[in-house]
Amino acid sequence: MQLLLVGLSHRTTPVELRERLDFSARGVDRALAALAGSPSHSEAAIISTCNRVELYVVSDDVDAARAGVARFVSEFHSVPAADFAPHLYEKVGQDAVRHLFRVAAGLDSLVVGEPQVLGQVKDAYNVASQVGCTGLLLNKLFHSAFAAGKRVRSETALSEGAVSVSYAAVALARKIFGDLKGRSVLVLGAGEMGKLTAIHMRSQGIQRLVIISRTSKHAEALAQTIGGSAMAWESLASALAEADILITATGSTTPIISRTMIAQTMKARRQRPLFIIDIAVPRDVEASAGDFEEVFLYNIDDLQAVVQENLSRRATEASQAEGIVSEEVNRFTAWLNSRGAVPTVVALRQRFEAVRQSELRRLEPKLAALGPEARAKVDEITRLIVEKLLINPTEQLKSISDADTVAAYSDALNRLFGLSADAGASPPGEEPTLTSAGSTKKRIQ
Amino acid sequence: MLMNIIPLALYATAFVRYAMQFARRTLNVSRAASTWLIMGAFAHTFVIGMETMRVGHVPFAGATSAISTFVWLLALSYLYIEFTTGERSMGVFILPLLVALQAIPALHPTPEDPSPLLESAWFGVHVSSLLFAYASFALACVLGVTYVLQFNEIKAKDLGFFYDRLPSLQVLDEMNLRAVKIGWLFLTVGLISGAIWASQIQGSGDPRVHSMTLADPKIFVAVLCWAVYSFELYAQTAIGWRGRRAAWLSAVGFGIVLLNFVPVSYFFTQSHKF
Repeated sequence: MQLLLVGLSHRTTPVELRERLDFSARGVDRALAALAGSPSHSEAAIISTCNRVELYVVSDDVDAARAGVARFVSEFHSVPAADFAPHLYEKVGQDAVRHLFRVAAGLDSLVVGEPQVLGQVKDAYNVASQVGCTGLLLNKLFHSAFAAGKRVRSETALSEGAVSVSYAAVALARKIFGDLKGRSVLVLGAGEMGKLTAIHMRSQGIQRLVIISRTSKHAEALAQTIGGSAMAWESLASALAEADILITATGSTTPIISRTMIAQTMKARRQRPLFIIDIAVPRDVEASAGDFEEVFLYNIDDLQAVVQENLSRRATEASQAEGIVSEEVNRFTAWLNSRGAVPTVVALRQRFEAVRQSELRRLEPKLAALGPEARAKVDEITRLIVEKLLINPTEQLKSISDADTVAAYSDALNRLFGLSADAGASPPGEEPTLTSAGSTKKRIQ
Repeated sequence: MLMNIIPLALYATAFVRYAMQFARRTLNVSRAASTWLIMGAFAHTFVIGMETMRVGHVPFAGATSAISTFVWLLALSYLYIEFTTGERSMGVFILPLLVALQAIPALHPTPEDPSPLLESAWFGVHVSSLLFAYASFALACVLGVTYVLQFNEIKAKDLGFFYDRLPSLQVLDEMNLRAVKIGWLFLTVGLISGAIWASQIQGSGDPRVHSMTLADPKIFVAVLCWAVYSFELYAQTAIGWRGRRAAWLSAVGFGIVLLNFVPVSYFFTQSHKF
């Protein structure tokens, strides 16, 4: 039994192709239902986001599953396999485990440390488990992936620091003003960048959003779409005196906000702090306006420098995150290897039980003389003896975490107890009785 | 007073923990830091309780007992702020102050002699108000210093170490002013009650009482403090001196307080030798 991953992501595939192969449009649950028809695998899950399409399947025959999955993707989306085959990556066993853990931790994301991906992996798992496509292996695999993702988030700073200009501006505003609730924001210019930053500010619960543009029509249109009020160009000075945050993003070729204007404003506002975000190129605000004590002036280059700084900090955190992922991969592999002993355990138990039954049958004539209560007692006692004898070997076998030891122990037990080849001798990778193992465990406890 | 060493050791351990937490920003360490500080404050409460039973009143006469009581008040005030705001990043700035000041009573104790002059209720009000005022000013100073550190980073567009670790400028500024307001109130009460107490004991003929004038360094510097903090509060409302200027005033004000508290008490004052 092997874990196989077949997928493609932003690293390997252009967006046009990813769009054509996106499962979420037609429903991942439907795709899983269609995939379940294939006999080549026993468990399956699909992660489908705008940046990646990944299919995780559990199969006894990896080559057959590999071909089956590719055929399924091609048929489901009606895209010739030749179109996407060069972009596919395939990973088997521990490599696939590591890949999923890295995805959940945000290490494989377009922007490293991006926090949404863990939620997307969770959604993918929930859909698969609702449809009934997950079993013992994928359940454990995905829960381990969530744990790895959570550990990376809480133990490293991989997701910290704004990595876009508009988020950097919001983060700075929060550092200056604390809570942005009750703050008032003035946007100068009705361009795209100003709009984006204003939307982020809005989501922080600012109280007042005023938009001023030379073309009042543009200001009104933007005020309509993002929810604010437009003011006339002439009222700039009064609007400035009331604002806590000024975002300038006009197309003007000469500065609009002069040092003198800021001087007057600061007097009018009695030194209340003013945060100016000048994202226009060329700049809208005279650089010397930032000389005043309570004026914080950031232009687009300053913000981009902040973003760069945060990105490089995330890069340094990444190595620590990789370490955590490795730990979790090892833990998962150890669990998987210990499951490898299960067939031997089952065979051993079956063997002991068979001996007990045959002895009981052999003694049947002698036992026939006893009453039904006494016969039940005999049955009970022999069963308990077998159980007791098996407790220690069972626990020992299940606690082994490396594959070689599991194989050696299994081999020894097979020889010592003459376990039948079909039940116990199979190597741990091809474990056919995972479900019966579950019920065995219940009986042991 | 040798028992003062126990809270000192606990404060020192807490300081190491707070510094680790500040450097690495991990939640487990920060909980451990608070736990050590709480244990220190507990032990200190016990020490002060024992001392109170020994001399019959809260130990604030004598320079070292006053310092110990001040450290205790500061630890409690800081813990109060930490618990109400959930903000642990100030600890690394407060703890060195606790450790440095607590070292004085722990390593160089001077036991106080009971004096009939100290029986007055006004004396109790005088000293407890002032110690509480000083604890508030210590907090204001730390808030001011951290404000300036972070302000400079944001202003210089070099968002680094402190930017990642401190609360927003707005919060630091508000907390600073609140601490100064509370401190100023208690300082005023402390000065007035001190004046009343001094006038009550004028007839005692004690040479120390004769030096209780504005010319005595301890009294002069205390009044100077009052002037500095009064100006800070006035400037804040009247001319918009908030932010960095207010932060600097808080730092300077507490500098003067410390000066008065340790060197002036030990070496210069004639009137406050109890």
